[in-house]
Amino acid sequence: MTRMKSIWVYHVDAGSCNGCDIEVLDVLSPYYDAERLGVKVVPNPRHADVLFITGPLTRQTRIALKKSYEAMPPKPRIVVAIGTCACSGGIWYNSYALYNTSPQRGRDRLRSGGPEMIVPIDMYIPGCPPSPEEILYGIAQLLGIKEKKMKGEYWIALPPGEEKKAENEVMFKIPERPVPLRYWLSLREELRRVIGYYDRDAVLNDFIGLVEKAFESDNPRERLHDLVTGYSLKEKDSRIGIAMRFIENEFWRLYEEYHEWEEALRKKYPITAGV
Amino acid sequence: MAEAPPYSEKLKSWDRFEAERFSRKAPITTPYPFIDIEKPPEYRGIPHINPEKCIGCGACANVCPPDALIMEWDKEHGVKRLTYNAARCIRCARCIEVCPTGAMEPTTRFEIATNNKEDLVEVVEHKLAYCEDCDEYLDFTERQIEYVRNILPREIFHLYALEDRIKLTQEEKMRRTVVKLRETEGNIYSTFILLNTREGGEE
Repeated sequence: MTRMKSIWVYHVDAGSCNGCDIEVLDVLSPYYDAERLGVKVVPNPRHADVLFITGPLTRQTRIALKKSYEAMPPKPRIVVAIGTCACSGGIWYNSYALYNTSPQRGRDRLRSGGPEMIVPIDMYIPGCPPSPEEILYGIAQLLGIKEKKMKGEYWIALPPGEEKKAENEVMFKIPERPVPLRYWLSLREELRRVIGYYDRDAVLNDFIGLVEKAFESDNPRERLHDLVTGYSLKEKDSRIGIAMRFIENEFWRLYEEYHEWEEALRKKYPITAGV
Repeated sequence: MAEAPPYSEKLKSWDRFEAERFSRKAPITTPYPFIDIEKPPEYRGIPHINPEKCIGCGACANVCPPDALIMEWDKEHGVKRLTYNAARCIRCARCIEVCPTGAMEPTTRFEIATNNKEDLVEVVEHKLAYCEDCDEYLDFTERQIEYVRNILPREIFHLYALEDRIKLTQEEKMRRTVVKLRETEGNIYSTFILLNTREGGEE
């Protein structure tokens, strides 16, 4: 794309929820100040070099978008799609209210849908909504300040035991864990309810380190209790202390449950396992 | 021990675009497009599929609200493809929440604007397991079988003789069950559970 000096923008709302519109407004605010880059929002498409589209292109807005695109001067005529909806139809991609003529109803490889059904798009800025920095990055690409960083990937996931030959082939790795995987999975799922998906892996890893230490001693139950108490005293975040206490109880509950279950199974079917 | 540092430490390490250097020059406006910045650690950027850990179970494709993740079967070639497209992704992080192996990784990437939609596509191609008796590909991948071996207690795995049956199609499993039922004259326990006949001697 050729380097442009200042771009005059006309903003079209093609049925957006106004989330992306507010972010476009933020870009023009003093903190992000897109006007220092030469961006100016104009009230008429006849003055505009660039068309900002937000929204998934509803049937009602189709004519308006087409008219404003045709009213633009023919020379640069750059179209920027802002938001996930404008890039591909977003969460509404198979709605009855959208104008979508893609043959697979938007389930193809490129997830076609949205304004690209009627106008060619030069810059995709996905996000729901994209943060002002993301929009600034898109504008900076048009101006030639920043360069493209994304790249499509095609990985071939090799089955276990096969060797890597090509560059995009990837071998299988199950991370080694000191406790059996079924404990780890159940604890992880319980921890999601207490502390959320974001911090749970770090907390669980720390806890399993403590379990490993505790099982070295003669009385693991008391030792683990001491270790967890020590950990939660050190940590300033009270959420983590609560989560640790919770996960300790949960671990012993699971431990007993699995052991009882195995015993019961052996009693019910007195069969030697593993022929 | 911990792979990811705790949240409080991550927050400390995050440097807000070199505030000191630019504080005199630009007290209000961010110098962003002219410098490189990082987003805060809790920022929801686009997720990324880690192909080392992905087993191709399709849990993420099930929960994805806008179908940014799609699982496609190609039984003729014996592959199944997990396609992720950032142009459809609304960053709800449901896929990260449900992934059993942690293959969906949250990132803080925000510089994803592009002029070509191909750049936003990420594909992981998995190999399907193969049933030699039926000469047919199964619905699930070899990695999934390996993962099941890791979850189930080994004793249960042997007790139900799963090693012999795990790579069979549904029809073949049913056929074998019927054959076994005929042999044992309807004894259900001996059909599904592997009896140790060497020690007992009689059946």
